[in-house]
Amino acid sequence: MIYGDRNTGVIVTGATGKQGAFHIALMNEYARQVGGKGVVAGVTPGKAGQEVAGVPVYNSIRDALKEHDADASVLFVPGFAAGDSIMEAASAGLSLVVAITEHIPVQDTMKAISYARIHECSVIGPNCPGLLSPGEIKMGIMPVHLSSAGHVGVISRSGTLTYEIVDQLTRAGLGQSTIVGIGGDPVIGQTFADVLTRFEQDEKTRVVVILGEVGGSLEEEGARATDLPVAAYIAGISAPPEKRMGHAGAIIEGGEGDARSKIARLEKIGVPVASRPSEIPRLIKELL
Amino acid sequence: MKLLEHEARGIFEKAGIPHPRGFLIHSPGELKARIGELGERCVLKAQVDVGGRGKSGGILVADKKNAEQMAAELFKKEIKGVPVREILVVEYLEIAQEYYASIAIDRSTKQALILFTDQGGVDIETLARERPDAVRKASIPLLMHDIPPFMIRDLLQSAPKEIGKILNQLYRVFCEKDALLAEINPLVQTPSGIYAADAKLIIDDNALARQGISYNRDLTEREREAEKHGFSYVELKGEIGVIGNGAGLTMATLDLIEYYEGRAANFLDVGGGADQERVMHAVRLVASDPSVRVIVVNLLGGITRCDEVAKGIISAGIQQPVIVRLAGTNEAEGRKILDGCGYRMMESMEQAVKAAVEAVR
Repeated sequence: MIYGDRNTGVIVTGATGKQGAFHIALMNEYARQVGGKGVVAGVTPGKAGQEVAGVPVYNSIRDALKEHDADASVLFVPGFAAGDSIMEAASAGLSLVVAITEHIPVQDTMKAISYARIHECSVIGPNCPGLLSPGEIKMGIMPVHLSSAGHVGVISRSGTLTYEIVDQLTRAGLGQSTIVGIGGDPVIGQTFADVLTRFEQDEKTRVVVILGEVGGSLEEEGARATDLPVAAYIAGISAPPEKRMGHAGAIIEGGEGDARSKIARLEKIGVPVASRPSEIPRLIKELL
Repeated sequence: MKLLEHEARGIFEKAGIPHPRGFLIHSPGELKARIGELGERCVLKAQVDVGGRGKSGGILVADKKNAEQMAAELFKKEIKGVPVREILVVEYLEIAQEYYASIAIDRSTKQALILFTDQGGVDIETLARERPDAVRKASIPLLMHDIPPFMIRDLLQSAPKEIGKILNQLYRVFCEKDALLAEINPLVQTPSGIYAADAKLIIDDNALARQGISYNRDLTEREREAEKHGFSYVELKGEIGVIGNGAGLTMATLDLIEYYEGRAANFLDVGGGADQERVMHAVRLVASDPSVRVIVVNLLGGITRCDEVAKGIISAGIQQPVIVRLAGTNEAEGRKILDGCGYRMMESMEQAVKAAVEAVR
């Protein structure tokens, strides 16, 4: 387990919306199964005094922390409010924010991540499914019944593709230590490199699956920096070329974002890359 | 969304960035009335959103005498298939030196990246590849209100100091307009001063609402219909319709179709938390493409509930066969609903894709 365990208390921001309420219930159902603390409070400005799925709601994270112990916040707020919610959590002293929200303006994300870094708060996401350490804690929206406890770490830019791979690992008898969805947006908080650093210090994790996508070069930057054995799958080999961000985008990324060149660079540094998701369990068994 | 040059120029102008005199026309007649404002020669710039506009004949230098005639011809043209409806007419500048300046989002540093070179007038991407030192870079965290003077000095080196002011004005525009890219290419030195001879601005699609833009022009009609429902949709050339949830899983489904030598007709990601109605619209949208002969629905429930998805597929009531793979939240309920209506449910994504490829063979 990395980022948290069964003793981690969670605050859900955006608790009173449809998704917030639905997933507080699921997170706490999992917490009951594993004997964890789970979601201890919800936050929605102006909704103090309400209760959602048995959890009390407060106007602010500071108010919630007066009554409860918590270390992390999980966001279900709309895109326009998410940057603000990340900064509020960091400012209140939480060490982790898991931002499920999609459609956050990218400059909001960039400012919030810079601000969170000043407060030594890590941000997972945005536009991500959160994380799951089987048998310990779930922070986010991952379906738990596909997972099983074990020694494979999973890091993914995708949501549902992660569930697909986790399902296949479980069916092949390969349990997971922690599954982290780092998010599909152009700018995200924790990257492959950051999560790999945590996995290196985690005694449960022996091997890591990287699930990447077209665009950027975070996959190979992470794989290059770690000593752990890594296998990868990159989605988007059949995708039409990405809309280019003018000259500046091409210069920044050096034309390196497409799936084929990303796969070639991963293979060059010795990372086996699956040509379809169902090959991942075999590659992992070879690495163990 | 990418703004047209004259729109970006208007925004740059308000920020104080100097630019050549000029005006926008919608017909050659408008040129006649105002040509006197611009001196002996002028430049006609077609306002079309295509790359390589100059090389495709969209930018013309004209004399006072023949400008109206040339504008009339330009209005009749299509630049890379896009009809010319507006022309920006600007004064002709005597260029002594060209510069390039841009500010963009940089994924790997999570900061804005300022690029500047005094080796303008060449293809900037080639320059960056062949002589990386010639394109100077500075990363700036967006928490900064201004570009600090040391960064300006590093970027400009021997270039004129007044460009520093322009870089700061460009940075202000970049921040205030939620831009993904703000670019001046070229920024030119003339005997009468420094001017932005072009203006480019791409606004973050996720920030259009707060920028007061209600209509995303970059989308085709069908894509706009898809966007209305919250889907991301791209039309392709094959016959297997694809609906997935999450960009990664949907992309992996397309990749797997290619692996089994099938051809996908589209990419449709229904997004997170798709309910019955949205799934129904997704199925109908994909089925409305006449080249679609079979549809694969590959959904894993996280924030999406399988029972909602199943009801959505059934209520779409389309002609083509639908091959379904469903797993995740409320999976058992979803399975029961589909089984009761005779839909083909597959155990894995691999099986579902294989079945679809076989169905069109």
